[in-house]
This record gives sequence, C-alpha cells and structure tokens, in this order.
Amino acid sequence: MATMDCNEFWNQLERWMEGERTTDAHVHLRGCSSCRGLVEDLDSLREAARSTELADVDPPERVWLSLRSQLEHEKLIRPERADWAETFANWFGGIFSAVPRPTLAGAYLVALVAVSIALAGHGYRRFNGAEVPTQPLTAQLDAAEQSAVSAMMNADPVVTSSLQKNLTIVDNYIALCEKSVQEEPESEIARDYLYDAYQQKANLLAQIAERGDSR
Amino acid sequence: MSTQAPLRSHLHWKTAGVLVPGLLLMAAPALADRLERHFKVEAHPVVTVHNPTGTVIVRAWTKSEVMVVAKRATDRVEVDTEQNGNRVEIMTRQIPDNASPNDLRADFEISVPEDTELQIHDDSGGVDVSNVLGDMNVETIAADVALEDAAGYLTVKTVDGAFKCLRCAGRIEASSISGNFGFIDLRSFHVRAQTSEGNILFNGEFLPNGTYQLKNYSGVIEVRFSPGDSFDLSATSLKGKVNNEAKLTPSSHRHFLPRFGNALFGTMNTGRAKVELSSFDGTINILKRD
Repeated sequence: MATMDCNEFWNQLERWMEGERTTDAHVHLRGCSSCRGLVEDLDSLREAARSTELADVDPPERVWLSLRSQLEHEKLIRPERADWAETFANWFGGIFSAVPRPTLAGAYLVALVAVSIALAGHGYRRFNGAEVPTQPLTAQLDAAEQSAVSAMMNADPVVTSSLQKNLTIVDNYIALCEKSVQEEPESEIARDYLYDAYQQKANLLAQIAERGDSR
Repeated sequence: MSTQAPLRSHLHWKTAGVLVPGLLLMAAPALADRLERHFKVEAHPVVTVHNPTGTVIVRAWTKSEVMVVAKRATDRVEVDTEQNGNRVEIMTRQIPDNASPNDLRADFEISVPEDTELQIHDDSGGVDVSNVLGDMNVETIAADVALEDAAGYLTVKTVDGAFKCLRCAGRIEASSISGNFGFIDLRSFHVRAQTSEGNILFNGEFLPNGTYQLKNYSGVIEVRFSPGDSFDLSATSLKGKVNNEAKLTPSSHRHFLPRFGNALFGTMNTGRAKVELSSFDGTINILKRD
C-alpha cells in the first residue's frame, strides 16, 4: 500500500495538529519515527502553552535535535518545503500569540529561533531560488525580543548591560555565520556555527525574559 | 555639689552611650549587617544559592555542617535560608520593588563538607569555590567564576563572566558568550568548553581516554602540551589560523576533512586522549608547555 512520504506529511502538519488526521497520515506516522518525534515535540509544546500556570517552561531538548537532524538531513532545501516552513511559522505563531507571559515568551523564543534556523535553510536561495514567507515569524521574533529586552530595563544595570552587549555579539555572529553559509553553502562547519549562534541567542533571550519576568 | 558636675558629665556620657547605639540601630537598615546560620547535614548534602547580586564564596571544611555567613548591603534585601532534609537552600529576596541594584547586594561566605553538591546562581558579583569535590552547577551573567581543587561533574554557564578552573578534576562543561576560560593544572578526563568571543587557555594533563573539546567563534584557543602527552588532535579554524608546535603523525583514525578553513589533524605519541579544537575565525595555538 502506498503511503505518503515525509514531505507530504509535513505539508499537512498544520491540519494534523488541528485534529484533521487522514488515514494516510496515521499510516505514515506509525512507520516514521522522525515525523512521530516531531509531532510529539509539537504536542508537548502545545500542552506547555496551555499550562499558563507554569512559571517557567523550556521546550523539549528534542525540538532542537529533531529540527537539527532535519536540517542536516535536508542538505538541499527543496522548493516544495516552503509549504512546510510556512506551516511551521503559522503554527508556532499561533501558540506564541496565546502565551503572553514574558517567561513563556522567552521559553518559546527558543522554539521560534529553532524554527528560524529551519527557515534560514530556505534562505539559501542559490539552491532553490525560492522565496519563503519568513516575515511574520521574523516580526514575531523581533517583537518578542523587544518585549523581553524592555522588561529588563529596571534590572541591575550591570546585568542589563551585559545581556545587551552579548545580544549584540551573538547577533553579529549570526550575521557572520549566515554570510559564511551563503558563501559556502556546503560547509558543514559554517552551518554548525550558525546553529550554535542561533541557539545561543535563544538561550540569551530566555535568560533576559526570565529576569524581566522575575522583577 | 562638687560631685554634681562630674556626675552630670558622666550621665551625659551614659546618655550618649545609650543614644549612639540606638541611633546606630535606627540607622542599621541602611548599613551592611551580618547573618550567620548553621545546618547539620549528612553525607553528600546539596546546597543551592540564588543570589542575583554579590559574591558567593564557598569553602570546604571537615565538619558535617553547612555554615552560611551573609552580609547584606541593606535591609532591602532579605536572606532566606531553609533546610529540607539534606538540602540547604539559600536565597536573597528583594523586599521593596523600588530598591536600587546596589541595595540588593548580599555577599556570602559558605562553609560546606567537601562532598557537597553545589548549585549556584549569581548574576553579578563573583563565585569562588575551593576544595569542594561534589558535583557543581554554576550559572552567572556577568559574575566571574573561580573553581579551585574541585572535582565531580562541573557545569559552568556564564554570559560574559570569566571562568577559571585551577587543579580541577572530574568532568567539566563550560559555556559562555564573551567570557574567557582558563583551565590550569587540570586533571579532568572530560572537558567541553565553548565561548563565543572569549579566549580559552588549556594548560593541563591529557588523561588517557579523556576527551577535550574547546570551541569558540573568535579569540584565541591555546593548548599547552608536554612531550610525553598522548593525544589525537583535531584543530579547525574556519576563517582563522592554526599554529602548531606539536610533532604530530598522521592520524590512524579517519577524519572528516573540511573543505573550508584551516585544519590540522594528527596524533601525538599513541593518541590516548582525544583533543578537538575548533574556531570560527579565531586563532588556535598548540604550544609546548614551558
């Protein structure tokens, strides 16, 4: 019996998360540990988002790992994956908007930045030439970052200054790494550094949000 | 009568003697004060410290007791201590919302049994730990971290605080964005250190079967070796330089050879330890120990 492949599953991931689950998708998920892991991670993120009483939520480490493994697996980003990226952006945007708490925002930034890595993969346009609608997610990230940083304004000036200085450092590294990846898209090392830089930024934003929230 | 003046004078002094301490007492909230607490503990206690601003000094001693000495900058910061079984928790807490950061400073000197597990959060100030052999988790933002004669599983995370580890053993994992790392006279079998803008200095033993992973974006990674050291080396700088003084033989292991950047792979002596050095655009120096 022919079943859908991962690309097809990802294209209907948003519907799956909304409860519209076809038989083919069920069959694919039973046989695909990668997609099953991804769905489990997304489920746990959604559950965490619903638990507004939680003071501090970190997305599962596996989110990072599964996204990274997908990026590594997908050395060349195919144009049809744009749908997947858009789906992801919309879906994460949805849960993000439901979680206004700064702490949760900080925690979810980790996930959002992880997704932005995936979207950065689509940005390697020399492979596919495809334009990916990253603006909504980028705007959410920017807004959340601004919100987290402004919440820090009353904190210890030494700490605030340190966090802001290091946020600039990490942003610079992200820019350098992105440039490097664009120049040498086959360089695994450059991609690893880009991934690390994004992860550092996510961790830093989570720390900023945590401190802003505790004031 | 003749005694009245001296008596009056004496009374004045006595009054002053009462008043001055009284005034000092009234003024006390604005001054530093000292708090001391003792907790009896069993083997392998856990001590957690959460202190946003101020120094945390921890020393091992031979008593089965945790002693906490705290000095508060003002009474606008409260020091809470609590014992729950074999766990002692120490936390500074802000009382009024509008306190300035300087008002919230609290400095700690903590004495613990040497097998204590430590968990320390200190945003700014400094962390200094000596002779504690239990596992340790230290997280700071701007505070420097200094560990001396520590062992166990040591996890240190800073944003731009420097981390210095002197004569440490066990397993070390350190990460920072702009903090410098210094590993001096180390006897650790596992070191994993990553800092973005900081320098990393490793001057220690490469133990057999040990793994040593040092990584940064920019700055200098410097590793010092002795002629008798035995390690398998991988050093890669994507945009920077790799300088090497070690006599390496081509490694018997297969390596992924990067097509980009400067890389060096090889084995010193029998390659019993594994050393991985990587940088984005920093310089990697592999130098002879003096």
